[in-house]
Amino acid sequence: MNKPLWESPWAYMESFLISFGLVLIGFLLEFSIPNHPEVKIVYPLNLILGLCFVALVILLYFLLRKIRIIRFLSGIPASIGAVVAFAALVILMGISPQVPMQGKNIITTLKLNDLTSSWSFLLINLYVLLVLGLVILQKLERFKRRNWGFICSHLGLWITIFTVGLGAGDLQRLRMDLHVNKTEWKAYDGEGKYYEMPLAIHLNHFQIDEFHPKLAVVENSSGKLYEASKPSMIMIEKKLQCKLHQWNVEVSEFYASSGRSGDRYYQMFDYGAAPAAFVKVTTSSSDTLSGWISCGSFNHQHESLKLNRDFSLLMTVPEPRKFSSEVTIFTPDGSKVNQTLEVNKSYSVNGWKIYQLSYDEKMGKYSELSIVELVKDPWQIYVYIGVFLMMIGSVYMFWQGSKLRQKATSMVLSEDL
Amino acid sequence: MIWNYFLITASISTTSWGVAAFIHKKEGFRNSLVIAGILSIALFIAFLWIQLERPPLRTLGETRLWYAFFLPIIGFITYWRWRYHWMLYYSLALSLIFLLINYLHPENFSKTLMPALQSPWFVPHVVVYIFAYAFLAASSLVAIRGLYQFYKNKLTPKLMLMADNLVYLGFAFLTLGLLFGALWAKEAWGHYWTWDPKETWAFITWMGYLVYIHFRYQHVSKSKAALWILALAFVILLVCWFGINYLPSAQFSIHTYSKAP
Repeated sequence: MNKPLWESPWAYMESFLISFGLVLIGFLLEFSIPNHPEVKIVYPLNLILGLCFVALVILLYFLLRKIRIIRFLSGIPASIGAVVAFAALVILMGISPQVPMQGKNIITTLKLNDLTSSWSFLLINLYVLLVLGLVILQKLERFKRRNWGFICSHLGLWITIFTVGLGAGDLQRLRMDLHVNKTEWKAYDGEGKYYEMPLAIHLNHFQIDEFHPKLAVVENSSGKLYEASKPSMIMIEKKLQCKLHQWNVEVSEFYASSGRSGDRYYQMFDYGAAPAAFVKVTTSSSDTLSGWISCGSFNHQHESLKLNRDFSLLMTVPEPRKFSSEVTIFTPDGSKVNQTLEVNKSYSVNGWKIYQLSYDEKMGKYSELSIVELVKDPWQIYVYIGVFLMMIGSVYMFWQGSKLRQKATSMVLSEDL
Repeated sequence: MIWNYFLITASISTTSWGVAAFIHKKEGFRNSLVIAGILSIALFIAFLWIQLERPPLRTLGETRLWYAFFLPIIGFITYWRWRYHWMLYYSLALSLIFLLINYLHPENFSKTLMPALQSPWFVPHVVVYIFAYAFLAASSLVAIRGLYQFYKNKLTPKLMLMADNLVYLGFAFLTLGLLFGALWAKEAWGHYWTWDPKETWAFITWMGYLVYIHFRYQHVSKSKAALWILALAFVILLVCWFGINYLPSAQFSIHTYSKAP
């Protein structure tokens, strides 16, 4: 097995040297061409480059397949080398935080904080596409019916990587701030640049449904949640009786929307009304404390109950169950649609998909601002084709298991033993 | 209280499996005890689902519960198919470890489910993943057993075949879980993949098993290397599932749903 390096036939050593060599070249490029501007390759240039790449792979396969390198590239050692180098790069990505950073240091120079737009990532992706492409061509040329599962999964993966990469330049992701009773037709990108959209959105109503708030105990000195025992937070219900750490808590009154008047809270639905509850707390030493607690809102004070010198009982700010925007969407051709936008329920119009994203969190359920995201991704359908092919490949794999290999394994292993 | 029902469940499973291990000669009776232990976890999951008014799949503890449920099922099927008793006991033991972790790290059972997770994709995405993890855990048990056998010069082809089958099944589910996640993300937020730390590690895990499959495909006789790859791939899987919370990159993850405010 000890053959000199680079002597034919190439195997794992050569495969790892090539794939990790590409990663290294990428880092060297990063080092030698610092601060290169971000290039976005958009239609039709991406399509042309993509077609050239496909043509190149096909030509390599059919014209040069007699050459050893091409045969090596369509084999398992090359595939494993490519996957391992890709994995190594992704592990780097999984360890080092992928966030924008200030200043010039080794991390920013090598783009370790933004690896997906680094040279290494690009080179290794191209290498994977080349190797995978050659493998697929080989299987297609010697097509056998039992290989259809193999072709689905490999071709699916190839199409997915290829189209996601090419489509990245054409993908547009913008945000739009919608205010109640106003119509908006301008959206902004990550750098705050505004664009006029081929659609306008009028926000008729913004609605937040909330879960009930929870009871929790905090340390008076630090304000930190006390978590000596679990559960450390209990959702408030009317007539709730529960044990929170060493305290027995009884909720005798609860209003999801209330306001304080005099020495108590009443149910109220005015602007800024907050939840409140009347609680009775007994401790092991059988002292009974009682009082109103409220999480407050942007214009109501919050109120907690001091249990002793160290701890207080309080009500947490309710978490949203659902938030939705009732909107009217206008398009230049004069059409007008009423629609409700919700998280996980987007709406498509004029090639743009509209997603409910956020709201003014300080105002909570009284927010009059709804933030939506607009995404245009003309390559989506092609990515889906790749994804669905991979899914078919997985189902095939699940169905077939490694049956095909049973005979071979039994034979080889029994020879070994 | 939910917690008390958990304790009852855990005791039923522990007792029935403990007894099962002692009477392993009486196969019929033993098998019914194994199934009784699995059913008790199934009932608790159903109870939790109803009590919380949402799928109990949000927090790490909840996913561990599903794992403790799926693992014995896979162990049982593998035992049934391959007649390996040790596989059954290993998976039962591993399942009990996961129940024990849940006992030692009690969580808040909370009804809250953030809007992002309220989607028809939520249940298939997580269940398929946990199912894959359970298959792959079983395959790593086989890998450890195989390495032991290898160094004792007792490795059998049957064991390698079992490892292959478990990995193929697990990998099929792993791929589906990953793709479901990508499709869900596209439907819900407009991007398939954001290289969020959890996604990054899920991808690394996927590639780990990809290497195993390709290596086996080419080198049927190199069992030792294949078994080491398989054992290592499971370490990556564990980083992805739990270890991720301790990595510097994790503070920016969108997949940490257990830290309720």
